[in-house]
Amino acid sequence: MLDLIISQAPRFFTWYTLVFVLEAMGRTLMMTVIGCTVGALCGFVITVIRSTTSQWLMLLRLAVTVYVEVFRRIPFLVILFIVMYASQGLGSNISLSTIATVSICLVATAFLSEIIRAGLESVPRQQLEAAQVMNFGFSRTLFMVLLPQSWKVILPPAFAFMVMFIKDTSLASQMGVVELTFTGKVLMNRGFSPFLVYGVVLAAYFALSYPLSKFGAYLEKRLGSPQRRKSVERVRAHSGPAKRELVG
Amino acid sequence: MDYTFQFSNVIQNLPYLLKGALFTLEIAFVSFWLGAAIGLAGAMAKMHGGRLLRGLVSVYITLFTNTPALVQIFFLFYALPDVGIVLEPMTAVLIGLTLNSGAYLTDILRSGVESVRKAEIETAVTLGMSGLQTVRYVILPHIAKTIYAPLCNFFVWLVLGSSIGAIFGVEELTGRAINISTANLRTIETFSVVAAIYVALTFVASIALGLVGRHLFRAKIKVF
Repeated sequence: MLDLIISQAPRFFTWYTLVFVLEAMGRTLMMTVIGCTVGALCGFVITVIRSTTSQWLMLLRLAVTVYVEVFRRIPFLVILFIVMYASQGLGSNISLSTIATVSICLVATAFLSEIIRAGLESVPRQQLEAAQVMNFGFSRTLFMVLLPQSWKVILPPAFAFMVMFIKDTSLASQMGVVELTFTGKVLMNRGFSPFLVYGVVLAAYFALSYPLSKFGAYLEKRLGSPQRRKSVERVRAHSGPAKRELVG
Repeated sequence: MDYTFQFSNVIQNLPYLLKGALFTLEIAFVSFWLGAAIGLAGAMAKMHGGRLLRGLVSVYITLFTNTPALVQIFFLFYALPDVGIVLEPMTAVLIGLTLNSGAYLTDILRSGVESVRKAEIETAVTLGMSGLQTVRYVILPHIAKTIYAPLCNFFVWLVLGSSIGAIFGVEELTGRAINISTANLRTIETFSVVAAIYVALTFVASIALGLVGRHLFRAKIKVF
């Protein structure tokens, strides 16, 4: 097996393969970035709708809540299939990568809206009350009180979810979207050893998602509230007898 | 847009699909518990092991959490026969999912164990509890309470993630949906019914797990 890999390596590690894999990486990354950006915007809108209290928007609120709950509970593969066949039912010629991107947008909206909601809810109630007392309107409260305080809570998990979407796009290869996993298939059909091919594909995915998850972890450490950072430090520095605390 | 929905064939095949749903649950269940065993060992190794062991566990976690499960299973399925290990599709999917959940569960379990504060154990000692009592009444309830919610979420994720099996021809819910839709050509109907089954399945699972957790472990879980 090892000699097979060694004998194939010069044919495999060529300029052509490099460009092919890099292009595929680019497409995977682009689908994810578009999906996450659209998802973040739509998710934000959904969160805002969910946080309204007017009874005229009751139906809209209900619809949006159902959307979030439902789309977080369907496997990505099934969503891909539904979007693909629904777009065929519409009768127009939509490219496969568009279909995949649309599906990612749909899922990302649901997941990111949950993250954004958790972020907005992390702002203490008193802040909202204070804004009310100062006669801030809805949008002013949102953009000048809530968002500046909650983006620190929203950003780290959002990066974790971006990594999740990078991994999820691999399922789009099953419909024939030419992304990383699909290039693996193509290269294997050209007769290369699966060890080599999938090893490279795995490495490429790793190269995409590892920096992102590292960055997310860094942000979490960096942006965590002082309170939380202090408690993390407290846990880390297992205190000696002098600093021992009575109440945890 | 002149498409008439016809659900009759899908409804006829509903028992077949529901059996697939049961199989999906079984896959998720098995890989969850096997993964939990790996996770427990991994968490222990990461906290008490030597430097080499800790490093190995960290490498395992970063590798498996940063690459897609699909490609991992492709690797198991296509590359391992070269070294003489031929896996059934079902086995490959199970091994892939188990290794994946092992990586995630190691992290969850470790964070649970780390959340126990030293002061609590000292309090237990001061109260005159024996070692077993400390574990039973102080440490375990605390860990259970902390990790219960992430564990539930992860189980739901596994139920959804097991749909990967369809790509390898495992006849779980999505696999059976593909079978049906290739026969009756009612793809949209079939997959929307399957989506509904998935939603119902995970919804029931979340609510049941949430209620159990609330009563047994006093975990703070929002059931609704």
